[in-house]
Order: sequence, then structure tokens, then C-alpha cells
Amino acid sequence: MDLKEITLRLSQAVGISGAEGQAAPLARELLSPFGEVSVTPLGSVVCTVQAPKEGQPHMLWDAHLDEIGMMVTYIDDQGFLKVANTGGINRQLLMASSVTVHTEKGPVKGVVCSVPPHLQKGDKRKVPSMEEVYLDIGFDGQQAREHVSVGDVVTIDSTSRVLSGDLLTGKAMDDRACCACLIRALELLKGRELPCGLTVQLSTMEEIGGMGATTAAYQVNPTHAIAVDVSHAKSPGVPEDRCGILGEGPMIGFAPILSKTVCRELVKTAQEEQIPYQLEGMGRSTGTNADNIALCRGGISMGLVSLPLKYMHTPVEVVSLQDMENTARLLASHLLQAFSTGTTCE
Amino acid sequence: MNLEQLHTTIQQLSGIDGVSGDEGAVREYILEQIKDYCDCQVTPLGNLVAVKKGRRAPQRRWLFSAHMDEVGFLITHITEDGYLKFTNVGGIDERVLIGKPVRINGSVYGVVGTKAVHIMSQEERDAAPKFSDMYIDIGASSRQEATERVQVGDCGTFCTEFFSFGDGYFKGKALDDRAGCALLIALAQSDLPYDCTLLFSVQEETGLAGATAAGHQLQPEIAIAVENTTAADVGGVPKESQVCRLGNGPVLPFTETVTKYDRQLVQYAKQVAQEKQIPHQVKEGAYGGTEARAFQTAGCGARVMAVSLPCRYLHSPACVLQERDLEPTLALLKGMLEGNPAFD
Repeated sequence: MDLKEITLRLSQAVGISGAEGQAAPLARELLSPFGEVSVTPLGSVVCTVQAPKEGQPHMLWDAHLDEIGMMVTYIDDQGFLKVANTGGINRQLLMASSVTVHTEKGPVKGVVCSVPPHLQKGDKRKVPSMEEVYLDIGFDGQQAREHVSVGDVVTIDSTSRVLSGDLLTGKAMDDRACCACLIRALELLKGRELPCGLTVQLSTMEEIGGMGATTAAYQVNPTHAIAVDVSHAKSPGVPEDRCGILGEGPMIGFAPILSKTVCRELVKTAQEEQIPYQLEGMGRSTGTNADNIALCRGGISMGLVSLPLKYMHTPVEVVSLQDMENTARLLASHLLQAFSTGTTCE
Repeated sequence: MNLEQLHTTIQQLSGIDGVSGDEGAVREYILEQIKDYCDCQVTPLGNLVAVKKGRRAPQRRWLFSAHMDEVGFLITHITEDGYLKFTNVGGIDERVLIGKPVRINGSVYGVVGTKAVHIMSQEERDAAPKFSDMYIDIGASSRQEATERVQVGDCGTFCTEFFSFGDGYFKGKALDDRAGCALLIALAQSDLPYDCTLLFSVQEETGLAGATAAGHQLQPEIAIAVENTTAADVGGVPKESQVCRLGNGPVLPFTETVTKYDRQLVQYAKQVAQEKQIPHQVKEGAYGGTEARAFQTAGCGARVMAVSLPCRYLHSPACVLQERDLEPTLALLKGMLEGNPAFD
């Protein structure tokens, strides 16, 4: 299995929070060689790689399957669509974007309207608010209502591809690139005897509150978990103290909700295996599924590994394949090391 | 040229990159399409002048023009980290660039990055980005790595898919004015009643340089800019501000920001359209401008006007045109020539 290929496939799949559409069956297909795969009532795809033996620890790896997008809320008499955002949309990139409305009858193409500059009032041109955003699908009111329904989801068009060298670009690398990392980690573990139970969940609805991960983790009932998500990589204008660096390895998180033991184990593994890594300190919540999964049932030991990513929540997110490979290595090595000696993970 | 061929020609022209001052690839394509039908000349500035023989000589020297160039950007600096700083070439709304893929030198892929929305202040989220703050990421990690593929001075444009959608609409970059170029190619390939000159000009978007030089060279008596004009018939815009509407046929302006078009010529165009039952509309609003301005003052002056396709989202990666406007526009241009007015 080629990490680049599966990442590009996952990135290109459509799957908005709560409507994970194409992404869920693809996740199922990619996970099926590694164990029994099931889908939770909220749509998360869960793969039992190895059930824990009596008294054994049980590790859960999580990455989220959903991506941000929009939803049709109104169709006006001229056939233009009003939309609401699903997850944190950067409104600066909407104008003149190509979009696809995913309807019951199939995809409908369109563009985001932009009002010509000569009609912009005032000196300062502003970025439109979501209330001012319309989609142009090239139909009059009646035709539009025949093709599109309120509630249909919308994605911004994007082509997933190699940017240069080992860098990939496209939409939804947040967090499909990490889904790919987990699959790669499972591949690295193939044929190895696992010292504990291992389950992987590719969870839904992270971008709107983490409901998929919370409920899937309840079902899995692990003793330990590591959430794998993306974090900001350095790019112009981003304060250095708030980001990692692309190509310098996975970021190991430290935050109040995270288990110091798991965090330190991850660092130890990285050092011993000579896997490049970076540290990420967060004083409050992590803003990832880790916040929810840590509270699973009576609470569990939680870790967080983040993949550096540039231009988060745009159709041109950028990740490094080398970082992804190192993330997979870190997770696989940590599992083998931390649980085999019985010295840690109290 | 039938509608399907016209549509295909526009699609192909939209896919070629030709930022103002860098129109070579567009010119090559057009030359290939018309060289068997016209006497062609490429001028030192890069204009393509095509003299088209009709069945007779007209009473006045006719010129139809369309510009080959498109808006885009020019690389001004490469940072130590390998990011490309750029300036706009032609008028681009700063708000249509963030998060878009771009192409430099017709082949190098890059993206216009941005700080993630998560770490922006509320003010930053609402503010229009500025060119001076934007950059292109081609995936280079250093200036040295970047300069292996891109140099300061290189040009780029939007990298965007051309597609048809809805009820006869299509979308792509540079439809302003490649759609006009396609109409002129169709004229070149037609059997015309009178002689005329077809001008495919350079550098319209940066100040009418091509048209100014061509006006001096050709000194037409009647000149028509075949253009695209801004249509604001989009969501949230009241009727009185829409200027013109897609699907209602070619747009005939009496005036634009600077140019007052020749009243008699515009009335003549309306009359031809009415007689031939060609759908058309008068532009409701004095916005924009065309290279007809340059012909108006060339030599001892010419009667000028613009015949424009109504176009949504001009100068963006997603210009939108309506298929149903193409044939009426072509028919009007032919009809006007056929009338062979003297305007004495």
C-alpha cells in the first residue's frame, strides 16, 4: 500500500461532518485488511485489530474522518443558494471558489458568487459574512429547487496532488492525512505480536464537536488512547510560538487533559527509535478529539500526536509524507515498547 | 463555426496561460486557427493583426478587436524560506486569491496560503487580505530550491477547472477576453460580406498598450471591442444594480467609466439587432471600460463601441458565461458589418 496514494484518495473523498458520505466506505475498505470493521450508530468506522486479552491494556487510536464544508439553507427565487458553514470555514477563501452541491440525484456544480467591486460600498472591502454568501449553480428558482434540497451539503472543489517533492496538497488533509498515518502504522505492525489490545477508530463529526469520537470510544472501551490530528505548521504570518515546522516530525502534545505518562512514553520512543519529533504545549483544551476521548466512561490515559500542516481549513492544505511516515512509525513503535515491558502504563 | 465548436474553442483558450505581456501561447493558438483564412501579422509589441478579405470592400475601414491577455500576477521576490511574493497584473480583487491553486510559467503548481482561521483574530477574519501580505507556496523549502523552478519576473495565473454547469452556463479563468477571441476566430473562419481587420491585442488589462499601438498602425474608421462586461445579476444584488444579465444577449453600452461610445454607432447596432431579431440588452450602468477607448483617439479618430458578453465574476478564477449569449453576439457582429453603413 502506498502512503501517498491512500492519502490522496482519502483527501479527495467527500465527507462533511455528519454526512461522511464517500469517506466512510473508503475508510472501511482501507481498514478491512487489518481486522474486523464495524460502523457505530453515529457513523464512525471502527477496526478491531486485536481484542485485548483478560487484564491486558487496550489502546485506541483515533483520527477523524469528517471535513469542514457547508450546507444549503435556502434557495431563492432566482435560483441562488444560501448556505451555512459546517465547521470553521475561512470566509476569506470563499469568493470565486468552485463548489459542488451533493444532492440525492448526484453532484451539482457551481461557484461562490462575488459581488463586483464597483458595487462594494465604502472604502474598505470586507470579506462577506456567511449571511452574504450565495452559491451560483446556473439554474433559475424552479430548476434549482428541482435539483437541490435544503440540507444538501456543499464542498469547495479541490484537487489533491503532489505539491513538490514529498509534500502533498489538497482539501481535508485535516484529518484524512492522519487516517492514512493510522493505516500505515497498522501496516508497520503487520506480522508483529501485539502486547495489548488495539483498536483504530476513524471518527465522525470532529469539526462540529467530536460526537463521533466520544461515542465510538464509549463502545470500544479502551484503557489508553492516542488521538492523531493535525496542528499548525509554520508559514508566513503564523507566530512561531504557535506552530510546529513542516518536515520536522510528528508533534507530541502536552496538555492538562493528556496523560503525562503517555506523553513521556511517546517522547522516549521517538528518542530511542531516532524518530524526529516536536513538542506542542497547550495550556487549556487541545481542540482535538483527545479532549472528549480522555473522558471516556471513567476516564482513560490519553495521548495526542499531531501532524504539522500548513493552511488548515483551506482547499490547499499542505502536509509532508515524511512527517506522515514518522507519525506512523512513532505510533507503531510506541505500542510495541510501552506495553511490552509492563513497566509503564499504570 | 457552430455553437459546439465555439464552446470548445473558448474552453481551449481558457486553458492557455497568457498574462498581460506574456501572451505568446495564446497568440500561437489563435494563429493556428486563423492563418488559412486571413493575412496575419505579428507586430513588435505582440499584437496579432489579421486582415480578412470579404466579398467586397466596405464604405468604412472596420476593426474588430479582442484582447489575448488575462489578469494574473508577476513574481517580485522569493523569500529565504522559498515563498514567492507577487504583485497583481491587471485588476484582481484581493479577495479571490486566498486558498486558490495557481500556475506559474504555465507549469509550476503552487497555492496561495494563509494563516489558519483558528489563529486569526475576529478583525483578521473579516478584513480583505492584501497583496502585500500574500504569498505563493510551491513547496520549496529555501530560496535556492525555489529559484530552480521560478525566477523573479515570471508570471502566473489561476489554476482552475473549466466546466459547464446549470442550464447552459460555463465557468473558467480568462473568459475575459478569450471568449471575445473565440468570436473573432469565428469571424475569421466565416464567409464575410465585407473586408475587415481582426485585432487580437496584448496588454489590455494593464492599460491598453496593444490597442493603442494597433490604433496608430491601423487607423480604423469603425472599431468594435468584442469584450466581456461585468454582470451583477447574482444572489443578493437588487435589479437596479445588476448592470446586465446573462442569457439576454450581447450587451451594448452607451457609456462606460471613461469612454462615451459613438451614439450613432450604438443606435445602428440596436437597429441591426432589432431587424434581425437578435436578443440584446443595453448596459444599465457606467462601469468598466474597453480598448475601444484607444481606437477612439487613434489618428483622426474613429467611431467606436463595445459589444460585450455579459460575464459574472470577471477577473476571478471563476468567470461565468452563458452559452445562449454566444451565437447572438456573433450574429450581431456579422449583421453590423453586413449593413455597410457610411455614417456620412
